[in-house]
Amino acid sequence: MEKVFRNPDVLWREEDDPKAQAWEGLAKGEDVEDVGTSVLFADGTMLSLNVLGTEIWKRCDGRTVDEIVADLSGQFDVETAVLREDAVAFLAELAEKGFVRYEDR
Amino acid sequence: MKTVNYLKAPLTINWAVTNRCNFNCQHCYSRTDPSEELDTPTLVAAIDKTVKAGVLSINFGGGEPLLRKDLLEIASFCSGRGLRVSMNSNGYRIDRETAGKLKASGFSKVGISIDSHIASVHEAFRGIPGSHQKAVAALAYLKEAGIKTSISTVICKINHRAVQELITFARQQGVQQLNFHNFKCSGLGYSNKDELDLSAAEWKEFYLQATAAKKEIRDLEISLDDPIIASLGMKTETDSLVKGSICGKLSLNIKSNGDITPCGFIPIVIGNIVKDDFKEVWDNSQVLDRLRNKKPTGKCASCASYEDCLGGCSARALALTGDFNNPDPHCWINEP
Repeated sequence: MEKVFRNPDVLWREEDDPKAQAWEGLAKGEDVEDVGTSVLFADGTMLSLNVLGTEIWKRCDGRTVDEIVADLSGQFDVETAVLREDAVAFLAELAEKGFVRYEDR
Repeated sequence: MKTVNYLKAPLTINWAVTNRCNFNCQHCYSRTDPSEELDTPTLVAAIDKTVKAGVLSINFGGGEPLLRKDLLEIASFCSGRGLRVSMNSNGYRIDRETAGKLKASGFSKVGISIDSHIASVHEAFRGIPGSHQKAVAALAYLKEAGIKTSISTVICKINHRAVQELITFARQQGVQQLNFHNFKCSGLGYSNKDELDLSAAEWKEFYLQATAAKKEIRDLEISLDDPIIASLGMKTETDSLVKGSICGKLSLNIKSNGDITPCGFIPIVIGNIVKDDFKEVWDNSQVLDRLRNKKPTGKCASCASYEDCLGGCSARALALTGDFNNPDPHCWINEP
């Protein structure tokens, strides 16, 4: 199983107000998919991530996808299989942009 | 990806740490700026205010940043506080030893201003004999020291037809990035605009060539920071976060005396980093609010590209029309 690491050259931060808004919305069962809670940038590319993307990104510290999904499944009201599918696709997109890299255990 | 409408702080500060310069460029925006400089402790404390607000990177400019004797000390402070540190320089003072010191103080990237692949053209524009060779040497020393390098080229009458030559030159120097900056008409750039600025039709022709090259070339990052390329179906690097100019949305400019402006080419002071609450300025400046909420006027009102370009470069609109909300005068849409 591959471990996932953030590219240390990527600058990023969470945005306090949208983050609070997103978590508040989640607690009420609202759709917060379109609320950007973090910004990432590296040479020539900038991204804004929603709350799920941000939580996945924060866990790209050498954990595997399964470990990340297991950690998040209790926090988001979504089936584990669906969460895993979303996480794999999202990380593939980040890897293509050079924002994360995979490393074999 | 989601669009962020509101950031808690700029991502980047462009900080003109000095207005002193050893060059005499025909387009310089800062020759008429105040000569007052913040001393080292005051500057460091001011930088710390921005770090605490959430700023992630700082780009030193001016003037020539290397004329400040404390630049390395300041850079070390910045990198120690976790900021990504970069600089725009004319390269004249960068030898092997200086490049090593820049690396040691935490510079991750240095952009060198080179406006032509032809030495005599560059030197006539920059006003200093021998400056082209020095700039080329600086790029080599920086690369050798392990610092990412870029070439910054201000597009104007002297180089707008030399896109391919500039790209070939940049490749030969082994830089990672070639920045084509649009001509801003600020400071001396305004005084000399009749000799240097392009017509709207010439801008379109330049951007057609530059965007075609950007799509084609993989071994060199070509950066185009001009929102008016939206009408050519192209996007700036920041498009996924904000539309139009990034000034006051993702970045701010701080002058050598601490005055804060939306960008280096918009001479509207919205606060002072030493005297004012930085967060208060960022959150509540009426000027920034207008920049972030531009309204289409004139030909922009019926333009299909407006939602992406938001009227183009606010600095140029301000310099040439008196209102940054007006259409960018460089825009070729509906122009003869």
